[in-house]
Amino acid sequence: MTPKTTIDDLFAPFDLAVFEQLANGLFQPVGRLPVWLSLSDGPVDLADRFPILEIFFPECDAVWEGGSAEPVQSDVWTEPDSRGGELYLQAVATAAGGRRFIALRSLPQALFTYQQLAHDFELEKEKVERLSRELEVKRREAERATQAKSDFLATMSHEIRTPLNAIIGMADVLSLTSLTREQQKCVEIFQRNGVALLNLINDILDLSKVEAGHVELESTDLDLREVMARALEVVEVRATAKGLSLSQTMGPGVPHYLIGDPSRLRQVIINLLGNSIKFTDQGGLEVKVELDPENSEPGRLRFAITDTGIGIPEDKLGLIFESFSQADSSTTRKYGGTGLGLTISKQLVELMDGRIWVESEVGVGSTFFFTARFQVQDDQTERTAEPGLQNAQASVAELEAMAAGLRILLVDDSEDNRVLILSYLKGTQSGRTDSTIDIAENGLIAVGMFQTGRYDAVLMDVEMPVMDGYQATREIRRIEKETGAAPTPVLALTAHAFADMAVKGYEAGFTELLTKPIRHVTLLAALAKYGTGKGGAAIDVPPPPAPAPEPAQTSIRVRVEEGMEDVVPGYLEKRRADVPVYRHALDAGDFDAIKKLAHKMKGTGAGYGFPRLTELGAELERAAMQSNAGVIRENLEEFANYVEKVELEYIS
Amino acid sequence: MLGSYGVGKTSLVERFVRSMFSPKYQTTVGVKIDKKVVTIDGEELILMLWDMAGEEDNAPVKLKQVQDASGYLLVVDGTRAKTLDVAKSIQQRVETEIGARPFLVLINKADLRETWEIPETAWAELADAGWSVLETSAKSGERVEEAFMTLTSHMLKAQADDSEDDD
Repeated sequence: MTPKTTIDDLFAPFDLAVFEQLANGLFQPVGRLPVWLSLSDGPVDLADRFPILEIFFPECDAVWEGGSAEPVQSDVWTEPDSRGGELYLQAVATAAGGRRFIALRSLPQALFTYQQLAHDFELEKEKVERLSRELEVKRREAERATQAKSDFLATMSHEIRTPLNAIIGMADVLSLTSLTREQQKCVEIFQRNGVALLNLINDILDLSKVEAGHVELESTDLDLREVMARALEVVEVRATAKGLSLSQTMGPGVPHYLIGDPSRLRQVIINLLGNSIKFTDQGGLEVKVELDPENSEPGRLRFAITDTGIGIPEDKLGLIFESFSQADSSTTRKYGGTGLGLTISKQLVELMDGRIWVESEVGVGSTFFFTARFQVQDDQTERTAEPGLQNAQASVAELEAMAAGLRILLVDDSEDNRVLILSYLKGTQSGRTDSTIDIAENGLIAVGMFQTGRYDAVLMDVEMPVMDGYQATREIRRIEKETGAAPTPVLALTAHAFADMAVKGYEAGFTELLTKPIRHVTLLAALAKYGTGKGGAAIDVPPPPAPAPEPAQTSIRVRVEEGMEDVVPGYLEKRRADVPVYRHALDAGDFDAIKKLAHKMKGTGAGYGFPRLTELGAELERAAMQSNAGVIRENLEEFANYVEKVELEYIS
Repeated sequence: MLGSYGVGKTSLVERFVRSMFSPKYQTTVGVKIDKKVVTIDGEELILMLWDMAGEEDNAPVKLKQVQDASGYLLVVDGTRAKTLDVAKSIQQRVETEIGARPFLVLINKADLRETWEIPETAWAELADAGWSVLETSAKSGERVEEAFMTLTSHMLKAQADDSEDDD
């Protein structure tokens, strides 16, 4: 006997829940219902149980009414299952012999895994994008804060350095007059403390530049022995004064000719030597360079500066490289200094891909170590140094001889500045080979002249109308690139020297940034250094004797520097003529005009030998920016008084 | 419940119906229908909540399922600015294809308000368009009940207006 085949057996393999619609509209299950569906066996209102079917039934009618032979299927929907999970259901309607059927099927989860993964992925991606946008915003905020700090420091440095230079300068002048022993002592204290303060300010600015990431190391030819010799030279006087010996040794296999940043390396060595000298009262110091024993990569060197000083207690060894910290705060009182030198050294060494540390024994001495990475030049054969660059201090006459024969393009919109610089360069035109100087009143004219002329050096003012010094320098660099010409040294001149300006300037292609009021010897040294194609060896420039106004009730005497006789009177005349212009502008409330006039005077006064005019220019400029008529009037009266009373004194 | 995927439609329903929240994201397949009995003005009402699968580029909202809705909540993820655009586009399609319905915009994930990326201007823009906006959090429950109840009273009012018109 064959087993009886029921409808149950027929549908079982499909795992379907099948219903037939009754005349009263309810649905009667056909056969056994699958386990995933919990429903009673009796007739059921399917649309009540599954509300989505309400919108499906109208579509079913097409099949049920016999209009269509094709079964229709519903959209998928989600139902909770009995175990807290989910079922994905779909309904299919069909008709047979006038009877209306509907089947429910449960779709496998796997069908929707892809969708889940795609959404997960997309949401994660958006989250990462959002986080990186937030980071970007935070980064910009931090950058803005650093920018604000740099700007603040730029202004402060300018504001502090200007009066400080005047104080030091005046102290220098005063020390040259006949003084009693006691007065002489007082003046020396002025000088010493003034210089100490200036050094401190320079240190702080230097540190802030490094911390702001505004210091990029140069990558240029570096003669290790030369760097060492220069560093020792600088500290020699101080060591000798304390009766300390100073020696250097170069370990076996240390290459002499490297590629790196000689001035920063020298700065670190000087800082460490200076520090050691400060804390050493007897004995001596030794600088040793050897191959880094912990890293055999070529160009890895280890420097060790050993002293026989007071030593550092062990628990303070890590602290001394932090800003403004010495091993003992009483140290500051006894030995002076800020400890910033070590912090700057640490930052610089890290920029050189090295590290700095100290080993010390109290009462015996300390050894400061640092490592650094350089590139080694292929050619290590001995070279003789350029004659004339050996001497750390070159005289004006020597410098003039070196700068003679140069073809110079001078770009400056201020006639006063042009006249000043021309007078500085006069000495380079009296030799056997004269230098030639072309003049451009702004960047645009300069670029035109650069295209047709050939120059050994460009002296470029930064702030100019029509086209400023940055843009002009970029253009010059572009022209050189296009024509394949070697880069011409561009020496930029600015009244506010600071990191940002330097960064912006070096990005534009400045070779060097010189600060106004520029000194005679500084300008010549820069031209000698860069213009003669003998770049790389820095020349330490001795500070020129400051101009000498003799304070007096009725008249002010200003000594005219040699070679400036032709230009100073004209300059002074023009400043006298400015007085009514200022007055008129003040009456008219034209602060902008005052600001412009004052800015020019600030940049030129000291260069012509009138530091007081630079100061007054700065005061007037600041007051004009604040539209402070009272302060302007005060300074204006002082200015009028000064230019009226000033008398020029010529050295015969 | 309409809106882009991952904005929190299912979580809002879970919070409203069962006072629960799961931080695990599970995408909704098709539509999930829930109901909740509410009392409004002393009258009991059964809300049928159709929690639709989130819209995505290749799977637009099935307007057929919205056809019979008395109203809808348009859900936006405050941390994802583009879900506001999706919401606007859905509203547009609902309005043109099947006609105006009462709706509320829910800017969800208010617990993450710090990281929201909906631009400030969007609020004024939505207000100008006459849209009612609520800031909700399915996670904390912030203003979720209020959202559903506000929509319910809007729907009741719309139905009352309709039957008046019929009279």
